[in-house]
This record gives sequence, structure tokens and C-alpha cells, in this order.
Amino acid sequence: MQFSESFRIAVSTLGVHKVRSLLTVFGTVIGVMSVVTIVSIIEGMNEYVSERLVAEGSNTFYVDKFGMITNYEEYLEAMKRKDFTMDDARAVERLAPAVLAAGAVAETRKTVRYRSNSVSGVNVRGVDERYGLIEAVSGVDVEEGRIISREDVLRRRAICVIGDDVKTKLFGGVDPIGKEVRVGRHTFRVIGVGEKKGTLLGISQDSFVRIPLTAFQKIFGSRTPVAIAVKARHQESYELAQDEVRAILRARRKVPFSKPDDFNIMGAETFMELYRSFTSTAYLVTVGIAAISLVVGGIVIMNIMLVSVTERTREIGIRKAIGARRGDIMLQFLIESLILSGSGGLIGVLLGVAIALLISGVTPLPAAIRAWAIIMGLAVACGVGTFFGIYPAARAAKLDPIVALRYE
Amino acid sequence: MSGLIELKSVTKIYEVGAEKVHALRGIDLELSSNDYLAIMGPSGSGKSTLMNLIGCLDTPTSGSYRFKDREVKDLSDDELARIRNKEIGFVFQTFNLLPRADASHNVELPLIYAGVSRAERKSKVEAALKAVGLEDRARHRPAELSGGQRQRAAIARALVNEPSVILADEPTGNLDSKTGEEIMQAMGKIHDAGNAIILVTHEEYIAKHARRIVRLRDGLIEADEVV
Repeated sequence: MQFSESFRIAVSTLGVHKVRSLLTVFGTVIGVMSVVTIVSIIEGMNEYVSERLVAEGSNTFYVDKFGMITNYEEYLEAMKRKDFTMDDARAVERLAPAVLAAGAVAETRKTVRYRSNSVSGVNVRGVDERYGLIEAVSGVDVEEGRIISREDVLRRRAICVIGDDVKTKLFGGVDPIGKEVRVGRHTFRVIGVGEKKGTLLGISQDSFVRIPLTAFQKIFGSRTPVAIAVKARHQESYELAQDEVRAILRARRKVPFSKPDDFNIMGAETFMELYRSFTSTAYLVTVGIAAISLVVGGIVIMNIMLVSVTERTREIGIRKAIGARRGDIMLQFLIESLILSGSGGLIGVLLGVAIALLISGVTPLPAAIRAWAIIMGLAVACGVGTFFGIYPAARAAKLDPIVALRYE
Repeated sequence: MSGLIELKSVTKIYEVGAEKVHALRGIDLELSSNDYLAIMGPSGSGKSTLMNLIGCLDTPTSGSYRFKDREVKDLSDDELARIRNKEIGFVFQTFNLLPRADASHNVELPLIYAGVSRAERKSKVEAALKAVGLEDRARHRPAELSGGQRQRAAIARALVNEPSVILADEPTGNLDSKTGEEIMQAMGKIHDAGNAIILVTHEEYIAKHARRIVRLRDGLIEADEVV
């Protein structure tokens, strides 16, 4: 029998039981939908994060004494380590040929005020003059005014560069240059405004205040850990720069040859690795959920197909009497369960894409619809339909035509 | 011409639980390619069993059944399906049309299973419906047809693959006598056109349409007479 005929029969049969067919494929819909939605969102985030991290930290890496702390003992151990200073940054820049610039930076969060306006949770960074240079080279520059200079740092001047968000929230339309803002309990004069950088996963990159590191340490205490931001000369010397910095710092910190580093180097790729390990877990969870709902969905399909075979026993008898072979009947019912689960998969894909787009529309989470996720969803749905359709189809094919014809 | 159907000492034993039911106890029957045979007998005489065997829906327990010189019990399931499809046209008491398909699609089914091309199917279906006077009801579903029209659609379906023999099991059983008479006229025409027909009935006046009557009792042929 021709495939098209089986297809026609299946479509018309399923059309008769619209509600039943829809309920039958519910599990498949949910399974495929969750795969498509979650894959779209994770892929969207991957794309977004890697783009942003690459733009953000192109050729830049950070050195601090903590690194990835996962438990309290490690924290206590790390606390005992020597703090980095501006001198370390200077040494790195001077001694490492692959390094373009190295700057020291310490940070905290404070409320920033101007007259009656205030912004809380602002990222306050104490920086030296080389840090500003690194940012400027990375394409993030001050839009108005100037960056923090060597003089500012040496003289511990109470001046600051503010982010675009802080400017908008504190000053509105007023020109902030020369105005005095309060960071915690201290007053700083605005000398520059940073270029607008936008948001990263919904978090503003423009809610910051930069002050001279010397002023920072005087106000917030010199115990606040200092990190060193290092910019390699170019992409090719990125890894070389890391090696040079490691050697220089080990020497300066007198780390014995046999001991591991008492500091940590983190580049964009370190964040990416961490991020990927999170998303791969999310993938596993998704696959698990989807697998369960697809198996349950497949069993529901099998159940309904068995009901359908019983209901249509007489039809099967008639078809056999007029010449349908076992294979014809088998094919008819297999195609029926295939169409059932395939349309479930299709609905799932459409819903999944719609939900992913909706989420990316109303939340900061981006979404990237992947063809492979859609194809895989449909293929798995069809596979489930075929697999769970085999038993009912075989039952139908094996029916004795005489018994089937007599069935009421 | 003889030798379309040839049964020799055919028996059929059903096992119902532990009990063995001897439905046929030794049937010898021959049918030539232009016969018109009526099988009569009370219920339980083995009429239906004999019909199922001749129709290749079932195989005998012992004895030999040759259809067109082929031993049926040696045939595979698919080969039996092939014979049912090409060589035999069934007409049932309860019509057995597919309720969701229209008359034309019901008639088309045997052609689909025979692998006939779409264009050829179309012309054959039209011809078969025309032959039974149902050409203007082609798009109607069985529920929209009268009993007589349904049975004519079933006859068109039985004829469409130009089978060697039509097997009609109580074709008038669900029809009033006037419609039944119409159906028997139609059967007569089919026989006149050169088809062999086997008719199962327990109505004497229906059996009279045939050329030959075989009477069954308790799984044996009691009489084989020419009308």
C-alpha cells in the first residue's frame, strides 16, 4: 500500500478525535517544548556571555590573592596571603614584555548621593592611573572630562569618575563635571563621566564610581584586597603575558619553587569555563526532564493506540478481508502514531520557540533559537511515536480477520 | 471450464476451550469459473466456516483446498491476502463498509491494497459505482446511504478488482424483501457478465436465483442440486 494512503487514513482518523489526540500528545508537547525553550535560553546566554566577555576582557586578565574560593578553610588560608599593591602592578608592567599595562584596583559597594538624590549599591572602585588606561584601551573611555591621573593617585585627591547610570540618576540633565557627590560619608568632585556600556544580563555596567586607589584605601581601609588588572599587548601575547606575570609575582612574593601560586589569575576564559560548567548541568537537567516526559508521553500514545486498535477491530477485519496484508495494517497504525507524536513534537517546538521569544522579550535573558534543537526535538518525538507505536501496530496486524470481522 | 475452486475432504475443527468443535467434517466441492452456487443450511451447519475457508480468511484443519490449482494451506499470510485482494470479492450481510469513508473511497480500498495507480483507481471506481447505479452517491458516507445503496456500494467494492469469484454471505439478510430482490437482480447481472458467485443464504427464494444449491447439515454436504 502506498505511504500517502496510510498518511491520509491517519490524518482523517486523528481528525475525528481532535481532543483525544491533543491530550494524547501532551507529554510529547511538554518534553519537546522544555527542550526547545531551555536550549534556546542557554544558547542565547552562551552567545551573549561569550560576546560580552570577549568585548569586556579582550586581552585583559585579573590577578588577586583569592581566586575561586569554594569553602571557608580556603578563605581563611587566602586571607593570610600577602595583599597586592600598586608596586606589584608597576613591577608587572615594567618587567613583563608581553604586558601593555597593569593597574591596581580595589572595590566595594556604597550609596552615592548628590543633594537629595541617591543611588544605592554603586560599585565603588579605587583605581590607579594605569587601570583607567587599560579601560580606555579596551574601548571604554570617559565621555566627558578626564580619567584619573598619576597626580590624583599620588596626592590622594578626592575626585571621581562616575558611570552613565550614576550621572543620569543623580544629575538628570545637569552637567556633573565639577559637582561634588558623596560616596558613603566622603565627598568627591566629579572629573569625568564614563561612556555608556549598557547592561550585562540585566545588570547595569554603568553604575560605578572610580576614585583614586590611595583615597579608597584611606577611607575603606587598606585591608580591602587589591587586584591587578593586566592587559596584554595583543591577542597572541595573551598567554605569554599570563606566564610572565605568574613568574614575576612568584618571585616578588617569594613563593618557593615547590609550592603552588599564592594568587590566582582569572581571564575571560576562566569565567567562560565556570559558566559553561553551570550550563552543562542545566542541559543535563533539561535532558532528564525531557526524557521522562517523552517516555511518559510515549506510553500514553501507546495506550491510546491500543484503544484505537480495539475500537477499529472491525475496520481492520474489513481491510484484511479485502486484501490488506499484515505489513499494510502495521504501516497504517505506525504512521498514525508517528503523526500523533510528530504533531505533538511540532506543537512543542512552536510553543518552545514562542516561550523562548516571550522570555527574551520580557526579561533580560536573551534567546537563541537553534535549528539543531528543533530538529532534535522533532526527531525524538517521531522516534518515540514510532517506538511506542510498534506494539499496538503489531497487535493490529496480527488480528485474525474472521474474529475481527465478527467484532461488535 | 472447471477447477477454479476444488475442496477435497476438507475438515475444520475449532478448539473452544477444552472442547473441539467439528465445524466441517469432510467437504468435497468443486466450482467452475462461471458457477452460481448457493450454500444453504441451518445455523451451526458450517456455512460460515465454509465461506471463510473458500474466502481464504481461514485454512482447513485437514484435507485439500485448491484455489486456481494452488494449495491454499501452503500459502503465506501475505499470499492469502493477495488472493483475497485480487481473486475474491466479499459481500457481507452487514455491508462492512468503512463508516468514515465515502462510497467512492470504500470502493477504492481494494485497488489501493493492490497497488493500482491513482489515475487508474479513479476510472475503475467510477466504472464500478456506475455498474451498481451509485455514481451519484459517490461522495456519500455509508450513514448517508440506504441499506440497499450500502449493499450496492459493497458489491461495487467486491467487483472493482475484477475478481474470479464473488462471495456473498447473506447479502440480503439486512434488507427488506423488495431491496433484497434488487440486490439479487444485481448479482444476477454480475453472473451474466461471467463472474462465479457463491451465495450463502437460508432463504429458499433467495437461493433460487442461483444455478446450483448445496445444502449443508452438521458439517457435511447433504445435497448438491442444480436449480
